[in-house]
Order: sequence, then structure tokens, then C-alpha cells
Amino acid sequence: MSRLHPFTLLALAASLPLLAWILPAPGGALAPACVALLLAAAAGPRRVLLPALLTAAPFWLFLFILHGVTGMTAYGVRLTAMIASFVWLVAVLPPARLVEAMVAAGWGAPSAYLFAATLSAVPVLRQRARRIVEAQRCRGLSSRGSPAARFRALRALALPLVLSALHEVDERALALESRGLAAGHRRTPLAPPPDSPAQRSARWGLVLACVLALAWRLVWRG
Amino acid sequence: MSIRLLALIPVAVAINLALSAVVDATGLPLFLDTVGTILASALAGPVVGIGTGALTSLTNSLRNPTFLPFVAVQVIVALYAWGAARAGLFRSFRVAVPTGLGLGIIAAAASTPISYGIFGCSTSGGVTIMTALGRSLGLSPLGACFFGSFISDFGDKAVSFALVATVLHALPRRTAARFPLALRAIGGGGRGAAGPA
Repeated sequence: MSRLHPFTLLALAASLPLLAWILPAPGGALAPACVALLLAAAAGPRRVLLPALLTAAPFWLFLFILHGVTGMTAYGVRLTAMIASFVWLVAVLPPARLVEAMVAAGWGAPSAYLFAATLSAVPVLRQRARRIVEAQRCRGLSSRGSPAARFRALRALALPLVLSALHEVDERALALESRGLAAGHRRTPLAPPPDSPAQRSARWGLVLACVLALAWRLVWRG
Repeated sequence: MSIRLLALIPVAVAINLALSAVVDATGLPLFLDTVGTILASALAGPVVGIGTGALTSLTNSLRNPTFLPFVAVQVIVALYAWGAARAGLFRSFRVAVPTGLGLGIIAAAASTPISYGIFGCSTSGGVTIMTALGRSLGLSPLGACFFGSFISDFGDKAVSFALVATVLHALPRRTAARFPLALRAIGGGGRGAAGPA
């Protein structure tokens, strides 16, 4: 599965939740949810299926509290389809491969940069946030106690994080300028993911299936 | 879009997603997942803010796909923050906090149809409890859902606005002047490292 073109994987992951929402619940939504769960199981029962089920489980509980068994089933099946599809997608599609596919499809260098830079910046800043928390605690900052004390601690923790991140913007801009990144420039991908007419047809087929399901739901079922 | 503004977007997204570590440390019932979006809009305008918001929802959905449908709320936050920055509403806490409370109401109104239609108001434990409380108070299902979203968004957006006002005032004036809206957002004249009054 992971050898498929990134756009095919995206189309599959997007069409399953869409079909689950378009088709009447719970019966109609059950098929896309089962397909999503099977895909997750095929990608790895412990690595993919289990996290998907653990992510979906609290929603079933919350839905039972609010809507009882009938509402829980109707919403829960659709939510499970959405969660399982996305967890599966993240497991089988490395972001770098998606960026290569976007570049090969003609997306500009800035778009590819935004996607790649975001994915690399988030873990770095999260790590920095944890370091700031530890450093401020070493200096005696107490982040517990009364609400006022907690808000003071929030300011002391958040301000250095945000300011240091903003100071990074100049360094990043300089690096991008020196690499000649500008709007309208196209990059040549080093290893574009292989695509095929069959996969392109499959993607259009999924789009068509969603449109037909929507039309059937709106026109014939009211 | 200039290279500097392009470079700001991933940084602002990372701010949105990294502040959860800070919130966890304080144990406050906040998300602060729109601080980067508000900051990007206040510094650089709506395009950068909307880009930050959309990319935040997309990146967050890689971790938990239930964030993706709320991309519309991030766009509304970006537009509201841009308007607030143009009007200089980050000039002091006295102005920024009520402006943030206003955003809390708008964000709750925008997220309610999404939360109700897609998640049956079960987006988190807190929202579920508040929605159940609203139902027990006799509110309609949609009204109870708005009540749950409102309680969770109201304070969060006020604190987010206050935090962004603090950051804008703490930015060195030379750094702030590199972004098109920063000085206007704080009322035309930055005061160096002094905090908002």
C-alpha cells in the first residue's frame, strides 16, 4: 500500500470519511468504516490499528453520555471511519514523499517549503518548550498553586518561547534568500513518486463515487 | 509574499502546537492553540494568518484527525485578529482582553455547527461535560453544544489575546518594524520591553 502514489493514498483517506458522512448512518457508514479499519489493520495491528481505536474510544464514551446508544452508533461509526483513515494515512505516507509528489505535480517551491518546514519546526519548538519549563523550574518558578500564580508562570514560560521563535524568523528568511527561494520558481524533484494511469483512474473513480453518493443522498433519498 | 513572511508561517504554526507543553506545565484549562495564528495576523496580515491557521489544522490532524474540520475556526480567528491589529486593539490589556472575549464568542459560534454536525458535541471531555450540563439546564441540543464550546473557548481566546499583546510589546522595536502590522497593532508606538498597561 505504501508504494502507491501519495495522491492515491490521500484520495483514499479522504473519500472513506466523506462516504461515511454522506451515506446514511449507521448501516451505510459501516462499510467505509470497516474498509478504514481493515486498511489500518493491514498497515500494522499494533502500530496503526491500536492507536486508531484508542483515539476513537473516548468519542464513543462521550457520545454515549450525550446521545445514548442510537446516537453513539450513528456518530461513532462515522468518526471511527475518519480517525482510522487518517491514522492509516499518516502511517503509510511519509511527509517527505508527499512533498516530492507536490513538487513533481507543479506546486511551487514556497508551498513545498511551508509543508516541510512546519513538520520539522514543530518537534524542535516542542523540545524547546520543555527545556524552558525545566530551566524556569530550576530557577525556582512554581507553575502550580493559585490561578494567579499559574497565570504568572504561564507568562514566564510562554514569553521566552514565542520571542525566541520570532527571532528565528530572520535566520530562516536569510537562509531561504541565500538559496534563491521565491514565488513562481519550480524545483526539480530528486525522486518523484511513480504514478500510473491506473492510479489516476482510481483517484477519479473515488471522486466520482463520492459525487454519486452525494447525488443519491440528496436527490433520491431526500 | 515576502520571504520573511513566508518564513513566519511555519514558526507561527510551531508556536500554536508547542504552547500545549507550557499549558500542561501550569495545569490551566486552556488550549492556546491559536496564539500563533493571532500573532501571525497581528504581525503580517490575513494571508499569513490564514496560512498559519490552515497549516495548524493540517499538522494537528496528523496527530489527531479530529482537528481538521475546525480549520474554518482558525480562518475566522486569523481574520478577527487582523481586524483587531488594524484597529490597534493590542495596545493594552484593557483593550486586548475584551477583544479576546469577543473572539471567544465568535469562535464558539463558528465551532458549534462543526462540533454538533460532525462530532455530536463530543470533541473533548470538558466540552462533553459542559454540553451535558447545558442539556440538564434545559437548553436545546444545539444550544447546549454552543454552551459547551463557549465555556471552553471564552477564557482561552482572552488569554491568547493577552499573551499576543505581551509578545508584541516585548518585541524590540527594530524587530517589530520588520513586520507590516506590528507597530500599528500596539497603537503606533512600541515601548520596547515594557508590558502592556
